[in-house]
Amino acid sequence: MKIAVSGLNATDNPAPGIGVAKSLIDEYDVIGLSYDANEPGNYLEITKKNYLMPYPSLGYEELKNRLLEIKKKEDIKALIPNLDAELMLYVKYQKEIEDLGIKLFIPREKNFELRNKSSLSSLAPKIGLKYPETFVVNTISEMQKVAQKIGYPFMVKGNYYKAYKVYNFDSACDAFYKISNEWGFPILIQKTVSGVEVNLVGVGDGEGELKGAIVIKKLTTTTLGKVWTAITIENENLLKTAKKFVEMTGWRGPFELECMAEGENINVIEINPRFPAWIYFATGVGVNLPKMVVKLMTGEKVNSNLDYPTGKLYVRFTDETIVDFDKFKKLVTNKEL
Amino acid sequence: MQELLKLVIDENDIAFHPSTGNSYQLNDIAKEIINFLKEGKDKDTIIEEIAREYGKDRKEVYIDVSDFLNKLKIYGLI
Repeated sequence: MKIAVSGLNATDNPAPGIGVAKSLIDEYDVIGLSYDANEPGNYLEITKKNYLMPYPSLGYEELKNRLLEIKKKEDIKALIPNLDAELMLYVKYQKEIEDLGIKLFIPREKNFELRNKSSLSSLAPKIGLKYPETFVVNTISEMQKVAQKIGYPFMVKGNYYKAYKVYNFDSACDAFYKISNEWGFPILIQKTVSGVEVNLVGVGDGEGELKGAIVIKKLTTTTLGKVWTAITIENENLLKTAKKFVEMTGWRGPFELECMAEGENINVIEINPRFPAWIYFATGVGVNLPKMVVKLMTGEKVNSNLDYPTGKLYVRFTDETIVDFDKFKKLVTNKEL
Repeated sequence: MQELLKLVIDENDIAFHPSTGNSYQLNDIAKEIINFLKEGKDKDTIIEEIAREYGKDRKEVYIDVSDFLNKLKIYGLI
């Protein structure tokens, strides 16, 4: 069975696609969907073939036409989208895409909106979490008013990507422009919370059951906050929260809870409606969530797996590969490789 | 105390706390005190046992054990 997987970037801002593909390749043929010929995953030979995709901003018709072309060539049966920027399109048109003969296992539109950063404040208490006070701003003067109210330091965040901790007005403006120039508006201003960052990746079956999950603590990160090393931990509170989140929303598919934990207190920072870039960690400790998603989407029986060893270390490292430049040219010209 | 009970001490005397992911390097006495606490012994008993075992003055041991227990409190382990 051929499964398409997006998000093949593996540079300083890695995407989940390669980890998802590595979790599947012993059982399935993985077809890579890429937005840029520079994405390393196009050349790593983990995927059987790679296709360039139209940018999500071009809309559903472009996406549909491209998926039909790929389906005709590869007969892909399923697709795992892994990028925030494309997910809205897949969520909105999931029925239409499934009608093309491509299975998805992603959240329904109302759930997708529910965990939007600007809506988290109302969701968090319902699942037993705290959410740091957050303000939506669109201008520097609005941000300045918020700064006067909550004081420094605080977080300046994009609605989809990027977050910077700022300590004064100059660095706040810098972060505001950096994020808005790249990702647009609104900008979110969030109070900082203390504690250690703990993350949970899980899969909901769409009927209220958490099928699999692991909890990790990041030990070292890059300047962008991307994990270098992490460790598996057990956190009963966070696991209970994840179960409640899945039960309450009937969550369908993968998700990541990004939290700050201090004793019993857990503040949710973000809920991502997809796998995180470190998803291979879960596979490596025996909880293969991407395979679980494939089995759920194809209607196979899936046993719950919330059992994993604690104290396992995840180590991300840089690597190089050398390929013929023709491959790059071929991908740019033919949109496939 | 519940958090202390979760500590897993390996052969290199590194204690790993599986809920927080924190690790602590222990010396012999630290390991001994943690094991005493896990056995449910109270502070006075621990001080007595350590003073007797190492032939030290009870007052001196009292200060060190108190200091160590404070550290465990700060780390949220007791």
